Amino acid sequence: MIPVLVCAGIGLYAACRVVLEPETPRKLLYLSVLNFAVAGSIVLLVPDIMALFAAAAYFVGSTLESNAIASTWAGGVKRT
Amino acid sequence: MLGELVNIFIAAVLCWLLFIVVDVAFGLPEKGGVSGADAIASSVDRAGGDLNGGSMMGNIVCSPDASAGTLLAACGVYAAGVGGGLTAAVLVFIGNRICHDPGYAGTTGAVLATFMVYGLGMAGITAAECIAGMVIAILTIQGISHVQASRLLGKFWGWRT
Repeated sequence: MIPVLVCAGIGLYAACRVVLEPETPRKLLYLSVLNFAVAGSIVLLVPDIMALFAAAAYFVGSTLESNAIASTWAGGVKRT
Repeated sequence: MLGELVNIFIAAVLCWLLFIVVDVAFGLPEKGGVSGADAIASSVDRAGGDLNGGSMMGNIVCSPDASAGTLLAACGVYAAGVGGGLTAAVLVFIGNRICHDPGYAGTTGAVLATFMVYGLGMAGITAAECIAGMVIAILTIQGISHVQASRLLGKFWGWRT
């Protein structure tokens, strides 16, 4: 039970920091902590191999979204 | 309860060391892998942090690195033992390719973490405690003070180069 509470507590803290942080690139740093906490909580709440796939899919998807937001904020793909 | 908290603390320290060593060894602080990671690095730099440390933090955000590998490997071991951890390593490898990351830090971190978490299990620290430990470890880098964390990572990068 304690590991789930630790993950949930850190997730809530990270969500608050995302909301309070004014700069977009640095919001994404807090968002990555939130993603870690949610991915960990998924597996801790449902201890099954399918939960691992769900957590990995969630994590990779959210990382890709952060990647896209950061790259768009930076001006998109630089083609030389 | 106190024993569980101590175990989570020990797991957090070990996970922290593992992912920092693997990420620095694979050169994540050198430069941002994508333009978004560079944007995060320059934002941390503008706030008074270190550019190399910021690059590593940006790379952690933009692609599954050793920290993600460690978390998912711990999740895999928790769900299905060593086989689950190695399955997580394959998922991290696929995730790296999806995120346009040519490196192998995430996959290497996941394989190493699988055996570390399994070994810790034999020493009495469960995979669930390792998952909580890894979430605490990433909190210390990405979620408390970006300026201080980037300076620390920059120092590690300075030692390597």
